[in-house]
Amino acid sequence: MSSSVARQSWAILAGRVVVLLLSLAIKSAYYQLVLTQVLLWAVLSLAWNILCGYSGYFSFGHAAFWGLGAYTVALGMINFDLTPWLGIPLAAIVGGLAGAVIGFPTFRLRGHYFALAMLAYPLATLYVFQWLGYQEISLPMKREAPVLYMQFADPRAYVVLALGLLVAALLISLLVENSRFGRALLAIKQNEPAAEAAGIDTWRWKMRAITLSGALAGMAGGLYGVLLLVVTPESVFGMLVSAQPLILALFGGIGSLWGPLIGAVVLVPLAEGLNGELGDVLPGIQGVVYGVAIIAIILCAPEGVYWRLRDRFAKPRVEPRPTAKPASAPAIAPEPRSIDGADLLVLRNIGISFGGLRALDRIDLAVRTGSLHGIIGPNGAGKTTLFNVIDGFLAPDAGSVSFAGTPLAGLRPNQVCRRGIGRTFQVVRAFPRMTVLENVIVGAFVGARDDRAAEQMARAALDRVGLADRASAIAGGLTTRELRLMELARALAPQPRLILLDETLAGLGHDDLAGILGVIRQVRDEGVTVLIIEHTMQAMVRLVDEFSVLDHGRLIAAGRPDEIVRDRRVIEAYLGRRWMNRVADALA
Amino acid sequence: MAMPAFLVEFLQALAAGVTVGGAYALMCIGLGIIFGSMRVINFAQGDFLMLGMYVAFYLTTGYGILAFLGPYAGPIIGAFLAGPVVFAVGWVAHRFIVSRVTGVGAAASEGAGAYGQIIVTLGLSLILQNGGLILLGSTPTGIRTPLSRSSWEIGPILLNQARVVSFLVAVALVIAVYLFLARTRAGKGLRAAADNSTAATYMGIDVDRAHRIAWSLGVGITAVAGGLLASSQSFQPYVGFDFVIVMYAGVVLGGLGSILGAFWGGLLIGIVQQMSTLVLPYQLQNTAIFVVFLLIIFLRPQGLFGRLSERT
Amino acid sequence: MKNGPTRREFGSGLVLAGTMGLGLRPAMAQTREAKVAMIAPLSGPWARQGQLMRLGADMALDEINEKGGIKALDGAKMTVVAADAGDSTEKAKNAAQRVLAQNEDLVGGTGAWLSSFTLAVTEVTERAQLPWLTLSYSGLITNRGFKFIFQTSPTADRQAAETVPAALELAERATGKRPKTVGILMDNTASPVSFAKPLREGGFDKLGLKLVVDQIFTPPLSDATPLVEKLRAARPDFLLLPISSMPDNKLVLEKLYEFGLGKGRLPLVGNGAPFGSPELKKVIGPELLEGLLFSVADWPFKGQEELIERFKKRTGEPWMTQDSLTTYGDVWIFKEALERAGTIDRVKVADAIRAMNMTDGPAKSVFPGPIKFDDKGRRQDVPLIFAQWQKGEPVTVFPTDLALGKPYWLAS
Repeated sequence: MSSSVARQSWAILAGRVVVLLLSLAIKSAYYQLVLTQVLLWAVLSLAWNILCGYSGYFSFGHAAFWGLGAYTVALGMINFDLTPWLGIPLAAIVGGLAGAVIGFPTFRLRGHYFALAMLAYPLATLYVFQWLGYQEISLPMKREAPVLYMQFADPRAYVVLALGLLVAALLISLLVENSRFGRALLAIKQNEPAAEAAGIDTWRWKMRAITLSGALAGMAGGLYGVLLLVVTPESVFGMLVSAQPLILALFGGIGSLWGPLIGAVVLVPLAEGLNGELGDVLPGIQGVVYGVAIIAIILCAPEGVYWRLRDRFAKPRVEPRPTAKPASAPAIAPEPRSIDGADLLVLRNIGISFGGLRALDRIDLAVRTGSLHGIIGPNGAGKTTLFNVIDGFLAPDAGSVSFAGTPLAGLRPNQVCRRGIGRTFQVVRAFPRMTVLENVIVGAFVGARDDRAAEQMARAALDRVGLADRASAIAGGLTTRELRLMELARALAPQPRLILLDETLAGLGHDDLAGILGVIRQVRDEGVTVLIIEHTMQAMVRLVDEFSVLDHGRLIAAGRPDEIVRDRRVIEAYLGRRWMNRVADALA
Repeated sequence: MAMPAFLVEFLQALAAGVTVGGAYALMCIGLGIIFGSMRVINFAQGDFLMLGMYVAFYLTTGYGILAFLGPYAGPIIGAFLAGPVVFAVGWVAHRFIVSRVTGVGAAASEGAGAYGQIIVTLGLSLILQNGGLILLGSTPTGIRTPLSRSSWEIGPILLNQARVVSFLVAVALVIAVYLFLARTRAGKGLRAAADNSTAATYMGIDVDRAHRIAWSLGVGITAVAGGLLASSQSFQPYVGFDFVIVMYAGVVLGGLGSILGAFWGGLLIGIVQQMSTLVLPYQLQNTAIFVVFLLIIFLRPQGLFGRLSERT
Repeated sequence: MKNGPTRREFGSGLVLAGTMGLGLRPAMAQTREAKVAMIAPLSGPWARQGQLMRLGADMALDEINEKGGIKALDGAKMTVVAADAGDSTEKAKNAAQRVLAQNEDLVGGTGAWLSSFTLAVTEVTERAQLPWLTLSYSGLITNRGFKFIFQTSPTADRQAAETVPAALELAERATGKRPKTVGILMDNTASPVSFAKPLREGGFDKLGLKLVVDQIFTPPLSDATPLVEKLRAARPDFLLLPISSMPDNKLVLEKLYEFGLGKGRLPLVGNGAPFGSPELKKVIGPELLEGLLFSVADWPFKGQEELIERFKKRTGEPWMTQDSLTTYGDVWIFKEALERAGTIDRVKVADAIRAMNMTDGPAKSVFPGPIKFDDKGRRQDVPLIFAQWQKGEPVTVFPTDLALGKPYWLAS
């Protein structure tokens, strides 16, 4: 890992020297100006990528940070005679603060709502600045001490400054990408509830991301103000400014280190070139050509140029496919073992409503240490809701949950995870381009001191589920069974005491099913208490020590499998007579 | 009986807000249909609005095709006819471009569709605006009709006729759209595809076609709103930008995925925009919209009528 | 695993080299040419204005070249290099830099219509010592201590200082009464803001006027109802309308009419060329505009009748607006400066402009008052022109020696 980081850092610095030499060779002030703009927009796009590319939280509002940065530098110089050498770092601080202030309320939103809310901030700010009287402000020309005020006669000085910012942005992105920071963000992008349940403090990481993103964007905006010398609300807070980093990153390759740079290097000169060549010939044609170009490219490479090229040219990993060896599965469930041990998880009188619907009502549940406890019930019975209550995603309006004697009330899911509860999710969303090991490491972070410990824990977990030989396989090529096992490994990585399995067996064929059942039993035998939701009775009957049956939010039965399948209420609610006969025969 | 001045001002602003909001409501419905069915953020929606304005213009003042209807009925019919014309344009755009990054096909490829949508609609927007400049010219233009400067009077309150007409047309179209979605097979197919496109496919609904209908309907309705606005204000090919925010604020306010919500959302945005001038400086009109927009998003993200959970 | 970096670096270098190939125009060294740049919005929301400017520039070019070009340079032809300022200050600045880089023998330039674009462009041209003429009238443009900028329009505060007293005088002459209260309806772009600022800060008081309605909106205006309602309630004796875009003018004027304040019931005085645009007439019709008075830095006046006819015939435009007129004039000013300097050295051309005190000639005929710039680049002591819509066309009515029509105060 770290050698790759070092290698890339050197590549960045070397590349910079190359570009620097190249730019010094360019004589035309015009090309130097365009080059500076390419670099600045690349920095904004990288800043955007840090928040949005990695975490999946799309922001249409980065112009807010850019604009605040530009105005900080401009107003600082006009009102306080503050040199941009100080103004630009100040702009970074302002941008970071703005990020935190904006992120604090806005991160409660998800998906499209988040993106649209972000859209509002720079535009609202635009009108405020116009109202304040800052329609057009112009940085005063300092003939006496130009260098002190960053007013260079040679435009190449700006190229150097912008290059410095770009190097910083690239190095920061590199560090983020290869650290826990980046992995946490990627986990959030993949499946935020799962990340939260795996112990990642999603809130804190998102806030850090937006603060860092805002600071970088603000700094770049500050230098932009110095470059243009004229700052207007439209030019720094406008929609086009917010759209630009997006377009560049999406074009170049979202969520990658090099994508934003590729986008900037290709698209900014392209647009400017079109303006220059065609702008006075047939006004408007440059916009049409640009629009057509970006549509064409994105249809060919939907995730961006970088990923497309990598997929085509990167050497594929060739993993020898191991011969499948199904875990041994007994035809009949072994004798139910007597379980002694205190109750590990206790739910008392849990209730929760959604609108007018009472989703859970007076649920009492006790899961004994070391047991394999099943929760079963028809669709809509409230099983996943129950898990969400235990895990901390939902707060019950009645009752209490306690784990190992201490209550879990009010804890966020990542804190619940830290207490020792792990959880899998129904929909497994793996990172198709990353290895199985990398996918599982996410789960290991919560208990690990550092990256190395996390890796060890991840490997141990893979070993436990029997996927150790697939650790370096690309997740995109896994079968359903392997995906389920990988998800299980992720939940097991922090070595929880209790694990909540949400429909792990759903949709599996006979052989796969037998295999996974074996793994689950193995896990329990190793001392992990298992609470499993399923609605396929057949598999569960062979697996669990105890059942709780939910129907319409109520607990209608609890006990051993052989008791449950004969329970009148369960049959009426759920099984059906014919079914019961079949199972009863199997157990007889 | 003379009304106190502040009451007159209040009612006048309210009247302006409601009537302006009528056009906003209509354009929001167009966007709402697209967003609700396809979960696409269409950055080009404002430019389809612009197309509608120009179609209505050319049908009336421009080429005078509808001149025989006179200066009162002509603009209204012109606005209506803008709908089918832009529907057709939208159909073509979806068939060849948009469908490649939206819908079932795109959903299968790991979020690629989501990114592609943004770029594609942004690209469409650029093409429409700049293509519009090339074909239609840069001179700001507008429909000449006495409706825009006459009003009906209720006491001291003046109701601008052009705005009232667009309000009434908006209401009529809302009802029509609502009936379409609720009663017709095509409409129900749209709603099914919106709810769960995978399941809808399994049920035999051609989701791609449903999306195409939704898209074309959405841009067509917004175009009618544009056609109505063409009687009130003048415009040039880049005018779409000014309305994109209004539309999004309205749709989110009303609740993503709810047609009725989009209507009320757009109306509310119009009211906020005009009535904010009673307490805030005029310059902050649109900031008021954003503040309300943000408040709604935070306090009630599903909007007035939306569903609570957004399926991710 | 990630062998991307080195390739990307190489790639970016390649692209950079590629862009160097883009847009390289062969340098025209042999044929003697005097090149003037014109930077204006040719695409984007203000494309119409750039187009109008270009029409004026092209007409001047043709006339100059037909009459034998620049005599002091052995009949060298004049050309205009047009560049699109687009819709953002970044594009405007790039256009300026590009035009300078690709045309090393530029002698001067004109543009960029929008004051923020002009600000951005002149930051570049000042450092390149390129003399620049502009019709933008925001005071900030010539307040930066620049030496190479020449503002042909009186600054906004000067325009304000002239507009209001002239309006008062007209009103008093026509109605016998001097107005006591005034209202302002304006947008918050730079020029109206600098127009209204000195008025609010004591200008009105000095004239004995009370400001009873003061409304500023952010363009584009969505609806003028709440604005005009306030006017209806307060009923000032007359209304100032410094509004810089035609679409906003349309909304305001129609709303005034709708509320019964049109046709002189609320006397109006506008400021800015958009008040006289042919588009305005097309969109709201001549009846609503009849009698509307507005002040503007330049408008076709007496002595230019032949020029106007030529323009109308050549372009098909219904009349000549400020954009075309002043750009036409700017090209002629450069012609004069080149004749006097006798060289295409831009610094000498700038010196020639600075030394100008033209009271006649084709350049002078375009602008009211002598062509003379002070050390800030401003024209002092030049009259502000007032035009009035009469019979469907805006005609200059003031100052009297330049008038093509008689002014009247529309009031009832």
